[in-house]
Amino acid sequence: MKAVLQIENLTKNFGRLRAVNNMNLEVGAGQVFGMLGPNGSGKTTTLGMLMSVVNPSSGSFKWFGEEATHETRKKIGAVLEHPIFYPYLSGQKNLELTAMIKGASSEQITEVLQLVELSDRKHDKYKTYSLGMKQRLAIASALLNDPQVLILDEPTNGLDPMGIAEIRELIKKIASDGRTIILASHLLDEVQKVCTHFAVLKKGNMVYSGPVEDVSKGSETVEVNAEGDIWEVLNTFDGVSSVNRENGFYEVKLKDGIKSKDLNKFLFEQGVTASHLVTKKRSLEKQFLEILAESK
Amino acid sequence: MLHLLQIDLKKLTSYRTFWVVCGLYFFTLGTTTASGMEFLKWLVSMGASFGTEINITRIPFYHFPDVWQNITFVSGFFKAILAFMVVISITNEFTYRTVRQNIIDGLSRYQFILSKVLTNILLSAMSMMMVFIIALITGFIYSPSVEMADLVMDLEFFAAYFLEVFAFLSFALLLGVIIQRSGLTIVVLVLSQMIEAIIRANVDDYVPWLIPYFPMESISNLVPMPFPRYVFQEIQDYVSITSVVIAGAWTFIFNYLAYLKLKRSDI
Repeated sequence: MKAVLQIENLTKNFGRLRAVNNMNLEVGAGQVFGMLGPNGSGKTTTLGMLMSVVNPSSGSFKWFGEEATHETRKKIGAVLEHPIFYPYLSGQKNLELTAMIKGASSEQITEVLQLVELSDRKHDKYKTYSLGMKQRLAIASALLNDPQVLILDEPTNGLDPMGIAEIRELIKKIASDGRTIILASHLLDEVQKVCTHFAVLKKGNMVYSGPVEDVSKGSETVEVNAEGDIWEVLNTFDGVSSVNRENGFYEVKLKDGIKSKDLNKFLFEQGVTASHLVTKKRSLEKQFLEILAESK
Repeated sequence: MLHLLQIDLKKLTSYRTFWVVCGLYFFTLGTTTASGMEFLKWLVSMGASFGTEINITRIPFYHFPDVWQNITFVSGFFKAILAFMVVISITNEFTYRTVRQNIIDGLSRYQFILSKVLTNILLSAMSMMMVFIIALITGFIYSPSVEMADLVMDLEFFAAYFLEVFAFLSFALLLGVIIQRSGLTIVVLVLSQMIEAIIRANVDDYVPWLIPYFPMESISNLVPMPFPRYVFQEIQDYVSITSVVIAGAWTFIFNYLAYLKLKRSDI
């Protein structure tokens, strides 16, 4: 796969603080890449360096396989932290200005305004917009000039549930066009739903990176219940690595390669009929917390 | 280049403060420079009530070619208002953080500064044109006879006036880029005149040859004060090449430092 973005040993120091430490990363074309990490883990600083508003202390990065210049930035749509526009200009005029900088045509402005459903309010001043509208205008502005890469930094920050749902739909719509998206977010559920790959940052260090589908791989955990005490029976099964009693169920962690149907078969052979048997899907949230805990 | 100017003008032309400040600037500049004669007449009428009769109106303020230097000199005082507008324009970019978004969207830092510098050139040129038109009209009204030779004499004062305004706007731009807050920048801009004057006064006792090299001094040396000639004193009634070179060098330094500051900072 063609790499859209290659980062090599990227480092940023703010005085004594090392905000980003020796980061190496590659994002391929068409990936929806989630960047996860607690507040202050260096997500925005990294994206700032990639968009040349923060000067790196050392290291380098390449967009589309070449050295980054202001011309390459025109092919990237980015919203970092929060929407930034001229408050005294209308939404339309703000987008006209962005289009002038990016060299996009004015027909595109109508298109993107329709996409984010802001056409009715386009002649109102930006400062009269609600937070959700500001976020949507920012996404519209990022979509100008038909960018190959879209960078969204906490696009749902501070939005109400309806606004969050709207933005999520919008991201899915954009991702289905086959564009590369880099999404920094706290909302792990969001990342799991939308992203194909993800990386975890902690205190400036990248502690994990890989495909999202790997999250659900590995050992399975099964929730079981049956009449009577089956603790002993469960522990005699070869494929079991541990058994816990939780919320009135037995939580059985299976060894690698052992599936829930194997457990069911074993129980049946032992003369136990399960009244409850659920394979628990591992959530990204759980994995994320595990990764953060492991990297201490 | 034109594209960059268009970008910056797009930001300004929908900004009401810009129209108000520029409107006030061109209005006061125009009325003040054009009404010198009326002011003198008023002075005479005041004097008349004390019984003294001075024929002050015979002073050839608006006669060609005197009018060129007289009006460009007086107009120079108003450049501070234009400089306030430049400060507001650049510091807005930092307070709204729009400079950051401009760079993200695909301007280089050099282009960003250049767009501001081009606007400064345009403002200076417009101011120069305005002053030229006023001087031309008042010259035709008040000159007893118009000779072509007098008309085209001393026109270099307009080039000097253009540089005077542009140099000062460049200084305002630099302060704006460094300080980034409009109120504080305006205070520093005003104070810098006084601070330099104090330093000059002290330096004058030891190294007087250094005086013309001070930035604010070099800017005000471009169009020297013409009025003492009306009380029969010697004045410099030409533009000195040395002042142009010094002020030109400062203008370049101001703009280059503004670029360097923006290039080095995280925005």
